[in-house]
Amino acid sequence: MSAAWTIAKREIRSYFTSPIAYVVLLAWVFVTGLSFYTLVFWFAGRPSTGGSDNPLTLFFGGTVLFWLPLLVFAPVMTMRLFAAERAAGTLEPLMTAPVSELGIVAGKYLAANVFWWVLWLPTLLYVWIISRYGDVDLGTVASSYLGVVGIGLFYMAWGMLMSALAPNQIVAAVLTFLVLGLFFVAGIMQFVAIDTSREVLAYISVWSHMADFSRGVVDSRYLLFDVTMSGLAFFLTVRVLAWRRVAG
Amino acid sequence: MLAVEQLTKRYGSREAVRGISFSVEKGEIVGFLGPNGAGKSTTLRMITGFLAPTGGRIQVGEIDAVADPIGARRQIGYMPEGVPLYLEMRVHEYLRYRAELKGIGRKAREEAVERSLGQAAVEDAADRIIGQLSKGYRQRVGLADALLADPPLLILDEPTSGLDPNQIRSIRALIRGFEGEKTVFLSTHILPEVEATCGRVVILNEGRIVGEGDPAQLRGRAAGGTVRFVGRGELGAFEAALAALEGADAVRLDVDGELVRGRVRLEGADAAERLFAAVAEAGLALRELKTEGTSLEDVFTALTTEEAAGSDDALEDDDDLEEAADDDEEGADDLEGASADEDDEPADDDETLAEEDES
Repeated sequence: MSAAWTIAKREIRSYFTSPIAYVVLLAWVFVTGLSFYTLVFWFAGRPSTGGSDNPLTLFFGGTVLFWLPLLVFAPVMTMRLFAAERAAGTLEPLMTAPVSELGIVAGKYLAANVFWWVLWLPTLLYVWIISRYGDVDLGTVASSYLGVVGIGLFYMAWGMLMSALAPNQIVAAVLTFLVLGLFFVAGIMQFVAIDTSREVLAYISVWSHMADFSRGVVDSRYLLFDVTMSGLAFFLTVRVLAWRRVAG
Repeated sequence: MLAVEQLTKRYGSREAVRGISFSVEKGEIVGFLGPNGAGKSTTLRMITGFLAPTGGRIQVGEIDAVADPIGARRQIGYMPEGVPLYLEMRVHEYLRYRAELKGIGRKAREEAVERSLGQAAVEDAADRIIGQLSKGYRQRVGLADALLADPPLLILDEPTSGLDPNQIRSIRALIRGFEGEKTVFLSTHILPEVEATCGRVVILNEGRIVGEGDPAQLRGRAAGGTVRFVGRGELGAFEAALAALEGADAVRLDVDGELVRGRVRLEGADAAERLFAAVAEAGLALRELKTEGTSLEDVFTALTTEEAAGSDDALEDDDDLEEAADDDEEGADDLEGASADEDDEPADDDETLAEEDES
């Protein structure tokens, strides 16, 4: 597994020596900043309700301002993982080094998640800003970020799988957008569905997922869902790499 | 060091490699020659584990490469075709990463990087960004990577393709330097490459081995061939003289002012002498006389075009070929001498050949 760490280190370094990381980060800070500003402005314009909602709760998954950018940013972050290496031919030296497919996938996956965490670092600033003008429950903040990490495991794994399957980065990004979009839409269908299908949809709903976590409710079922979904995509990615050796 | 048995690779219904067998002994430098699309890269990719074979066995040293691909990869230094590298990295940074990936311990890593930089003669570019390097340097970075873990077996896919004549010469000198120390198996579609670097050659065409032997043996096979001449006299007189010459075939004569330019296919090592005698007997004069066809090119052309009819024949021919070469060691030496002479002016030839092949 030390190979996984080696690959992750290189991958992270390559993210941050390429302009794409900074473009993504800058755009992300702009979009989340706008979202945060809108929410704060909205709350400032109405009398305190004393409810559990505050700008941070809504910021973490409570509005489409959170989800729409994510559905675009996640594919951009994962599209290069395998597709770029295949296009450049660098997958060949990588896969002929004495490293297992598992090690390669683990390294790439770790790197993608690290980048995901880096993406969320600037949002700590918003927590700090709110804390200066009101009470912030650190437990709620921690559970919000735990939810974000969980969503990251899920999104990065499926993005990685699409990148391993797709012939190039563009297709990888589009496929990832479609898959994550499908999960998202299926999830919010819970609000119109009835009976058992409603429960199933609520379980796979990233919206409900974050709604709980952003209010400080750590629901292990959602974490289990994240781990299962990412484990599945992770395993499939390993299989895709092994299959490519056979299919050529 | 490397043994391949009945190796097969099928892509859907297309068979890219059709049950090939060969072996490379320790310390040998063996060329893997064939036209584009013959299945060379596919074979190398199976040996290095990038592709899984459809059938057959690959033995790398003591290791069964199909059962234990990672173990086999530890024995191999591989330079893939086109030398794909991470362009945003610096050379030493890349090599350090590769050394780490190949499981070289932290302490030994720096030393391994320095050694391979030196072996591939790329020290002066160690701090440069790979994307800004010339193709020749990138090729050498790829070679340095292959040498990092000091593997006993080097697999090089088209190590000189796309390089200029000076770069080609230096890469070849590097490879020749490994003789006796490392086992090298390199693919190429450039014929002078084989003659310049390899002790033995395996020729692949349409996924099958169509010839095997040392370059001199293969040349010996094409002794005779085409004789070109320029003479003075009547066209009809030349026609008559050549008609009387036994074995003369595919005669082509052109009148060029008061000269006649001719091209005749004539077998045998004494082809030129016989043609000269025949022309002189007819009372005609020659200005120029030249034999062609002792190059590997002819062998290659013959093997890779005619053998399409039946590969079994080709293999039988091969055995004959080896026997003949053993019988005629002197002949082989002469031919090697001839090749050495030609080597004085190979740069231009190489370049044009390389360019032709590239397009």
